[in-house]
Amino acid sequence: MLVTIFRGKFAFVLKVITLLILSSILVMLAQQALAQGEYVIAGFLALATFAINFIYLTKKSVPLKFFLPGLLFLLAFVVGPIAYTVTMSGFQYQTGNTLSKPEAIERLTALGVTQDPDQTIFDVTIGKTTNGELGLIYFDSLKNEFAISTESKRLPQFRAGIVFDDFDIPLRSPEFVELSTEELTNLDKEIPSLKFFYNDEYYLGLEGFQAASLYKQATRYDAVNDQFVSLLNGDIYSDNGKGHYANTKDPEDILQPGWRAPIWFENYAKLFSEERIRTPFIEVFIWTMAFAGLSVLTTFALGLLLALALNKPIRGRRIYRSILILPYAMPSVMSILIWGGMFNTEFGAINNLLGTEIAWFQSAAFARTAVILVNLWLGFPYFYLVASGALQAIPAELSEAAAIDGASPRQIFNKITLPLLLKILAPLLIASFAFNFNNFNLIFLLTGGGPINQLDGELAGATDILISYTYKIAFNEGSSNLGLASAISVLIFLLVASISLYGLKKSKVMEDLK
Amino acid sequence: MIKWLKGNLWRHSLAIIVALFSLFPLYLVIISSLNPTGSLNLTSFIPREISFVNFKLLFNDPRIPYLTWMRNSLVIAGAVAILSVTIGAASAFAFSRLRFKGKISGLKLLLLVQMFPAILAISAVYVIMERIQTFAPAIGLGTQPGLLLVYLGGAMGVNIWLLKGFVDTIPAELDEAAKVDGASPMQIYWLIFIPLATPVLSVVALLSFIGTFNEFILARLFLVDMADRTIAVGLQSFIGGQYSQNWGPFAAGSIIASVPIVIIFLSLQKYIINGLTAGSVKG
Repeated sequence: MLVTIFRGKFAFVLKVITLLILSSILVMLAQQALAQGEYVIAGFLALATFAINFIYLTKKSVPLKFFLPGLLFLLAFVVGPIAYTVTMSGFQYQTGNTLSKPEAIERLTALGVTQDPDQTIFDVTIGKTTNGELGLIYFDSLKNEFAISTESKRLPQFRAGIVFDDFDIPLRSPEFVELSTEELTNLDKEIPSLKFFYNDEYYLGLEGFQAASLYKQATRYDAVNDQFVSLLNGDIYSDNGKGHYANTKDPEDILQPGWRAPIWFENYAKLFSEERIRTPFIEVFIWTMAFAGLSVLTTFALGLLLALALNKPIRGRRIYRSILILPYAMPSVMSILIWGGMFNTEFGAINNLLGTEIAWFQSAAFARTAVILVNLWLGFPYFYLVASGALQAIPAELSEAAAIDGASPRQIFNKITLPLLLKILAPLLIASFAFNFNNFNLIFLLTGGGPINQLDGELAGATDILISYTYKIAFNEGSSNLGLASAISVLIFLLVASISLYGLKKSKVMEDLK
Repeated sequence: MIKWLKGNLWRHSLAIIVALFSLFPLYLVIISSLNPTGSLNLTSFIPREISFVNFKLLFNDPRIPYLTWMRNSLVIAGAVAILSVTIGAASAFAFSRLRFKGKISGLKLLLLVQMFPAILAISAVYVIMERIQTFAPAIGLGTQPGLLLVYLGGAMGVNIWLLKGFVDTIPAELDEAAKVDGASPMQIYWLIFIPLATPVLSVVALLSFIGTFNEFILARLFLVDMADRTIAVGLQSFIGGQYSQNWGPFAAGSIIASVPIVIIFLSLQKYIINGLTAGSVKG
């Protein structure tokens, strides 16, 4: 009965219907992506649609029928982001440089205006003239007359025909009717870009729904030479190659906003050349290595000691074992938050127990101690478990033979057991180092990277490891720098990947592949 | 007696000291949850009074949508577990049982991809999801379906790798016999492999469930709305550094959230320890 589901017409119809539904969803998404100008995403979706139909409707490749779903997810959410990270690391991509260049030019043109010297402001009503043109009606306090301005002209009005609202602001006239609330709401998004004629020099720009000021263009975009020209003093702002238009007379005078500009390896270079970036980067790097190294060392030492102690069938071994793995069984996010509370200065259990009043997370040394201690609690059961397993795998004959030859237990451990254990566990020690190198949750949830020197406006704290520092650079409110953060990410990956590959070479995994 | 002391005393002492170290935070969080004053201030480590007021608060206080957070976590982690194993099993089967060109390079690539720590590409994922938001608001930044997609993609490498390891241990005789009888790879997969592999698949699904349940930073970055949050993000934002005020309800909440995970973990011990030596399973 079950077999028939996977055979014959029924199966084929089912397959075609599934493919049709999936394809139409993907195509719809691709169209929407295209409409928003997201060409890469649209292209990926289109290719995915094609691949799905091609693979499942032909018999070209049987393995791909099994691989395709997983492959598409890997491409979209792992390979894609990796490639994008590498790309971003080559760009000036930070607060102030988040737009594309055409978007930036549009914004600069809109922003490149100046008000009249008196900063005149009129109370206005938005409405339509009798021939349907959008316009404003207002009392012109400079010329002392009522007027209507549309995009192209300005018409003075007689007071007699004008209807006022409760605040004596003109509302309508024989030639003009105000917009309804609904029409105004629809207009909301266009408000900043609307311009109404005032005189040959100035135009009226809206400040919300009820006020307008006099503006004139102060800078003009010159598309031929790709530069902005100041209409006030003739200064020229040209593309400085780093995502800004800069004054040709003064490179420091740049127009905001800038755009995402390719700067190739400059983000990487900054890490080593720019003092303000280099110092914290190197400090964080050293602590990251120390933290990962100490974490592996302490968790391995305690785990191994326990494994040795419980390697003999002593009474209560099972009970010990089930208690000892509890820290590993707990969801680590919860454990870290619990430890955070225990280190609380006033009420925390640690100070309570020790009878001290240490502000654990206010001093670099104490905060670092706390981080290592918590990580020891979280990590030792892992090494207890794997070291127990490895001890079982070491043949008993070896130590027995040594004992017969008169070796002391200490000698047996130092010369036989430990070297063999290290050989078996080396790949896991390396993997643990790589894991702790990026142990974001521990740092972020326990100390938040602190303590931090608030005075110099630095982002990096005493317990920040590279990955939490990178996170701060990328998501810092006010001044995020995705380009620099991506460059550090790429460096971390190269480092961790080479450490891990080294570890894998030591293990059997690579040989098994052959 | 002397000999016993010499041989075993240090073993018991060490085990007892470390066991106390292991239990201390857990004991503390349990008595805090039962302490009616709800504060962290404990003059004694032995509870004087036992009450369930913190647990009641958790379920009745509108400031703490605890049940919603818990449901979000269970739904998201459950969906990731089921979907990622469904998708991953097919790839693992192909890697384990089919012969094709480029299999070894494929495995090496997979090995490399599954090593990549997802957190490194977090800003790229953020920007990509921000862009998806502009044309498909339902699956973009700030939505649970969007987070689900990112989780699925991020877990795929590890899951396929892990599944392949487990699948390799299932004897291939049955599907080879079926192949001799003329069954197609699809038929072998659905009719022979899947029924045989169900126990292994459920183990990986549960491991993936634990991993997702424990995920913090993507969830925090993605889910802004109070009612959308997962339990990890919810509880973290709830104490938000203000340990002294909300410690009691937090303790109660973290116990309830941890119990199912601890139970799953302990019952899967055997598989997890096997998996440990093959590569880390749980961070």
